[in-house]
Amino acid sequence: MDLTVGKFLRFVIILFFAAVLAYLIYSLSEIITVMIISALIAYILDPMASYFERQGLSRTTATTIIFLLIIASIGIIGWLIIPGLVSELFTIHGNISLSDTDALAGSIEKFILDIFPFINPDAFDIKLKIAGLITALTDESLSVLGNVVTIISTFAIVPFIVFFLLRDGRSMKKGFIAYVPNRYFEMTLNFLHKVDQQLGGYLRGQFIEAGVVGVLSVIALGVLEIKYFTVIGIFAGLANLIPYVGPVAGAIPAIIINMIEGGDTATIIYIIAAFALIQFIDNMFVQPMVLSRSVDLHPLVIVLAVLVGAQFFGLLGMLLAVPAAGIVKVTFRELYDGVRKFHLLS
Amino acid sequence: MEDDTMWGNIFRRQVKSETSIYSVLSKVPIFKDLSKKEIKAIERILHRRTYKAGEAIFHEGDPGVGMYIIEDGRVNITLGKQEKLLAVLSNGEFFGEIALLSETPRTASVVAVNESKMLGFFQPDLFGLMETDPKMGNKILHRLAQMIADRLRFSNLENQQLKLKLTELEEKTSRKKGS
Repeated sequence: MDLTVGKFLRFVIILFFAAVLAYLIYSLSEIITVMIISALIAYILDPMASYFERQGLSRTTATTIIFLLIIASIGIIGWLIIPGLVSELFTIHGNISLSDTDALAGSIEKFILDIFPFINPDAFDIKLKIAGLITALTDESLSVLGNVVTIISTFAIVPFIVFFLLRDGRSMKKGFIAYVPNRYFEMTLNFLHKVDQQLGGYLRGQFIEAGVVGVLSVIALGVLEIKYFTVIGIFAGLANLIPYVGPVAGAIPAIIINMIEGGDTATIIYIIAAFALIQFIDNMFVQPMVLSRSVDLHPLVIVLAVLVGAQFFGLLGMLLAVPAAGIVKVTFRELYDGVRKFHLLS
Repeated sequence: MEDDTMWGNIFRRQVKSETSIYSVLSKVPIFKDLSKKEIKAIERILHRRTYKAGEAIFHEGDPGVGMYIIEDGRVNITLGKQEKLLAVLSNGEFFGEIALLSETPRTASVVAVNESKMLGFFQPDLFGLMETDPKMGNKILHRLAQMIADRLRFSNLENQQLKLKLTELEEKTSRKKGS
């Protein structure tokens, strides 16, 4: 009898703590997101800090130098791009939902007729679909920008957290390991090392690749004089985080904008050629250097991850879904491997 | 006056503990080439663990992650399910160093005889060190390679002697059979 009561009591206590934990995660979700983003940035920057340490600097000096470099680059990028970027986003948002959809639909119909004269464009409701799609996309981008207070607080908090994670991350990790019971100690150490080994290259590679593709796309679209080339270029870079669809997802908005602006068929071919060239450069030179595809994900897993990401976090969720799936895969594989090798289940 | 004694005690205890770790580490062969400053840096990397009497530090067959240095205490190194005693190690001695280089399974189990304080130095820490301070990492690796080369030479010598004994024994038995 006592045993049953004890078991029930334990169940209630566990349930209570699970509920408290779930409530805390839910109510602190914004802070958790900020923490995760900061941790990711610190993690990506870690080899840079190690590089400066190798040159004989202390960790604090190395972190400070990285921060000064970042502040300088953000300053330059902000000064050059951000005002244009925000105004581009607002212009796209305003324009498309008003008159330009007609022009776009007309251009697309003309383009389709040029290539496939036998198709009847009236069969598709191109006009409405495009207007909806673009408004939704720019809506998302604008909501990512969020309200001013959140931006300012995030911009103030993230660097603060990143600085300390980058400087003290190693001792924090050691402090955490110190609390692990002896029986699980070696397994935890091994697990963290293995996950770090595999994810380090993968995540850094993914973001470096996205950066390179983004910069190349901005340059290519700028040269082709496509309107809103900064927004589209940045989107193309971020979309590159999603395998298979990424490269196409980058080219489509450029083609659409070109059509709205009444661009000719030749420009569309140039856009496609530019994106093909960027993909070629990415596949031949960037990918082999950065090991970004070191975590193999099944295409079905990628599709599911992107859908789940979109469902819960919208556009940002879609873009970050694939690296997140990579993190989950490596973590579970290594955890399972560690538990098996250290005979913790027997 | 009382305060003085209190602060004095705290200070003395800290100094004692620091010097004891330093004196333990400076005697470990793989850290022998390191300067005082470098040993201090190693101290910051090491993991301090305390094991109760009878508690296993690792089991035979577990994946090897790194080495342990006994700061204070005594451990038994045993083999197989019968727990055949191979060696007893105590203060300042170390074990598991091969795991710093290769991730092969542990060849024996190690159990604390009494409450023991260990300093763990692991492969990820060595790799991290090689990345942030390659000069220090190289000194450690060089010493580790030297230690393993010495052991290999010793094993080779032992192997040769055993082979010699075996051929002598074979000759003796064949002579006995012949006569």
